[in-house]
Amino acid sequence: MTKLAVRINGHDHGPMDVRDDLTMNDFLREYLGFTGTKFGCGAAQCLSCAVIIDQADGTSHTSPTCVVPAVNFDGKAIRTVEGHARDGALSPLQTSFVEHFAFQCGYCTPGFLNEGQVLLERLERSKVARADLERVITEALDGHLCRCTGYVKYHQAVRAVILADPTRYLDPADATGDAG
Amino acid sequence: MRPSRRDFIKLTAASGIALTVAPLMAAEQPPFLARETLPGRGVRRPPLGRVDGVAKVTGAKLYASDFRAADLPGWPADTAHALLVRTPHADRLYEGLDIDRLASIAKPAVVLTSAGIAAAGIHAPPFYAGNLFSPVGQTPAYLGEPVALLVFEHFDDFDRARLALRDGDFLRFGDKTGPLQKPNYGAFRFTRIAGPTPDSPDVYSPLQEGWISPGFTDDSGRPIWRPLPVPEGGQYVTGAQHGEAVRALLAGSDPDLLVLERDFETQSVDPMFLEPEAGLSWFDPASGRLSLVLGVQSPLEAAEAIAFLLSKADVQHRPAAIDTNFAYVGGGFGGRDHTPFPLYVALAAMFFPGKAVRLAHDRFQQFQGGIKRHPFKMTTRIGVDRASGLMAAFAADHELDGGGLANYSPSVAVVGATGALGIYDVPKVDVTTVARHSRGVTAGSMRGYGALQTMTALEVLVDELAAALPMDPIELRRRNALKTGGRTMTGNPYSVSVRTPEILDKLEQHPIWRQRAAEKEAARPGFLVGTGVACATKDFGTGADCALGTVAIDPEGRVSIHADAVEMGNGIGTALANRVAMHVGRVADEVTVAQVDVFDALALVTSGDPYSITQAAQDEAARDPRWVPEISSATSASIGAHVGTQASAEAARVIFRFGLWPAALDLWGIAPSDPRSKQWAEAFWQDEHLLMSGLSPLPLPKIAARAHAMGGVTGAMTHAFSRWAWSQASFAIDGNEWTADIDALALRRGSGPFERLERTAVAFPPTDYNRIGTAFTSLCGTLVRIEIERATGALRIAKAYSVLECGPMLAPEVVLGQAHGGFAMGVGYALLETLPPYEDGPGNGQWNLGRYVVARGSDLPLHDFDVEVLPPISPKEAPKGMAEVVMIPVVPALLNAISDATGHRFQSLPVTADMLKGVLA
Repeated sequence: MTKLAVRINGHDHGPMDVRDDLTMNDFLREYLGFTGTKFGCGAAQCLSCAVIIDQADGTSHTSPTCVVPAVNFDGKAIRTVEGHARDGALSPLQTSFVEHFAFQCGYCTPGFLNEGQVLLERLERSKVARADLERVITEALDGHLCRCTGYVKYHQAVRAVILADPTRYLDPADATGDAG
Repeated sequence: MRPSRRDFIKLTAASGIALTVAPLMAAEQPPFLARETLPGRGVRRPPLGRVDGVAKVTGAKLYASDFRAADLPGWPADTAHALLVRTPHADRLYEGLDIDRLASIAKPAVVLTSAGIAAAGIHAPPFYAGNLFSPVGQTPAYLGEPVALLVFEHFDDFDRARLALRDGDFLRFGDKTGPLQKPNYGAFRFTRIAGPTPDSPDVYSPLQEGWISPGFTDDSGRPIWRPLPVPEGGQYVTGAQHGEAVRALLAGSDPDLLVLERDFETQSVDPMFLEPEAGLSWFDPASGRLSLVLGVQSPLEAAEAIAFLLSKADVQHRPAAIDTNFAYVGGGFGGRDHTPFPLYVALAAMFFPGKAVRLAHDRFQQFQGGIKRHPFKMTTRIGVDRASGLMAAFAADHELDGGGLANYSPSVAVVGATGALGIYDVPKVDVTTVARHSRGVTAGSMRGYGALQTMTALEVLVDELAAALPMDPIELRRRNALKTGGRTMTGNPYSVSVRTPEILDKLEQHPIWRQRAAEKEAARPGFLVGTGVACATKDFGTGADCALGTVAIDPEGRVSIHADAVEMGNGIGTALANRVAMHVGRVADEVTVAQVDVFDALALVTSGDPYSITQAAQDEAARDPRWVPEISSATSASIGAHVGTQASAEAARVIFRFGLWPAALDLWGIAPSDPRSKQWAEAFWQDEHLLMSGLSPLPLPKIAARAHAMGGVTGAMTHAFSRWAWSQASFAIDGNEWTADIDALALRRGSGPFERLERTAVAFPPTDYNRIGTAFTSLCGTLVRIEIERATGALRIAKAYSVLECGPMLAPEVVLGQAHGGFAMGVGYALLETLPPYEDGPGNGQWNLGRYVVARGSDLPLHDFDVEVLPPISPKEAPKGMAEVVMIPVVPALLNAISDATGHRFQSLPVTADMLKGVLA
């Protein structure tokens, strides 16, 4: 058993004793009841279990939870699908997912949402040329499996958020031009 | 011919178990339903999008796998965890589970095996004929058959045991016996000999003569198809003689007839829905109530199956009442329709009384025990007149592997066989099919349902015929396409629009097709370019489809809908809301799905099997004004749009006609004697206002308030049944005779209770319609352009185009999404996905993603995939199912493109990069 303390969506949990081989996915779902983070494969292949890890330097990345021991998250701050909306208002990416009918059954949605959010935040820090945008989105989302949608609308939804605010996400030369 | 269904009412009465079926209720306050299905509560709803959209992007508890006992009011605080142990062998004696060794790692509170089931008097429902657990001392019937159910009181013990069982060897086996041999699941022959002209009656058809099966097998268990001269042959002999004549024609030496015969094999694949099967159960000994949370496509079937399972159990294991609650499902694709999984969820609770128990597959277990797509072996022969390009005769032989536990294999065999002609009209047809038992993991329903397999073989062969004639592939398809009114293989015409010529024209005009030669010519060095086309038609509906729906409007104009259909990502909630809005002017504020127990006011009763009932029995039963052929059916077979919305749409129509319209007349001051009072069909809605030429627009809330004040109809509850045609009934409402495509109706006036109306007349579809293969179909054509790297065999889909027709689109974005998803699943089936049969396959418990490959975004032409949907042929055209047909042509189009690029025709699936590299070496 190892002590685990983790910050989730701005709230501290622990320290508490957990088995060394308990996965983070089971910690979230079975210990804390945060079932918004899904279990898909247990092999880090579908990434429906991915959460956002916020680093001390202000950067963030996603991590699967289904194969990673919970104790590896000790001292870390993470965000899950339950933490995106603020005061009852959906985030721009959540809104875009809904408006674009990005998902169907929705089981993979938490993973796509977290990955898309990390991408948006990365582009805010490091903008890309419009010409590279499709490739960048594909590279960001490609680890995530969806069995219902064929991915088209997920990509459209992420792109729409970026193109709706081009100065925030795109190189200045592109941001002033046609956003469509 | 199809798997029989049990009689819900009869069963409940016989078992003495009260059965309720409901959507999942109240995880917390505000109630679960508010979070599950409805916009605008807690989180603001965007102005557009799915009605379940907010819940799905905020991580609300929606799916069966999300719920623990603590989430559910009245349940115990803690959740125990169950584990289903399955056998990796089916060719040797099973000698038991080494429970002592396992207990040293984690000790289960309950160990349930075949012996415990037998002692308790528990029996598997007939649909899943076989053992619930493999008995000790016998050879397991199939790979992945359960041998034990273990329940652990604490999660950590469960988790340790799960990992130990996956990696360790805790099952004991004895002598090799070889696999069990069992009879096939079903064998059928479909033969049609057309008359001399299209208008003349068929010489022979399944519709005229009935469906036939040989009834004889050889020593190896294979059907004997030749017409044996024995008395028992009877009806079969006539059909078989016609069939053999078709084969003789194809085997002849007519120089004017080009005959090609090809073998084609398809593989086993997994539906790979993202949410592994899961459920929660609790048996409360004090009340005798068994409560369950499940996620399936067939709620009523699951509830009935559990009731049957426990109906003859001893007093300790027989609940007084069963309360089934149904959650959203994280993908279905057929794999959650008639799955045996809920049976084990129920058993877990019955053998651990007083405790809430969760049973959830991990992905290894889902691969090992979940329902698979049937692999097919097919031989197809087509004879084409060389001069005209017209197909003169068609013969095919299909063999499908149904695995070891009875499921939908006979039905898949029938749909595959009757779909084997695809979009074509051929005057002489003979198709045999046999669904074989094997030791493989059970195969059942999956998107495409047999037609995917047989139409892939067909469309690849048609392409080869075009090259051999030679003739343009689209022109060959056009010349042979079944026209409106033409007869299908079973001898009946489709009763819906048939728009093959338009689809083919669209394909022919598309740049992907028109530029195929130039693009091939312009291939980059080291790459081959090819273009492929295919066209498919797919039935929707099963021939016994039901819908239950209630629509209500409150004095403020808020609309609520309750329906029995299941939301599995197909957007049924959104489709319901949009279809009802056409009649009542507002997208529903509340849509609740997967409900069966809120329709008591209809007081429905049923009896018999809708697929096999005789006309006399149906006529007799129909004298009871509450009788319907079936009460509720699974959400499958692409029925969401056509069937799932029917009852609610008809309910909304009644509310408009007898509630909102009279209220509007009153507000406009139009007297009953005014001719305009009869023109309700001329009124229409815009922006929640009712418009009528020459009159002031009326806001819905004002109309609704007046309807309530007048005691008009403000709620309607209906039941609809389809056997390739809707039941129709008449009802007396406010001095009018109201006839609609429903067979039961209850009305609410003002804020009163729902009260059933006696139907004054009813017409159920004739029972002869059970001889129809299908009468409902929709079409889709697909073009793909591919590029293959010579050195590696790597294939890239450069562009794609699908064109389909589905009548009016209830939720256009959902239709597009289904087309995108169908394309992706088609790509996976054609190029990536495969499960080996038997010992190396998923039944060994070692399969997961990574080893099993499905399409990712980078496998698809995300930015170069156009989908076009033909506008409805008439404003009166009913919605048509489309979620399956969009997958089918993708597969043969890819194979035809590969042939165009490489000159090689592959005759099995999937075509992998290694295989491509092999032929290019």
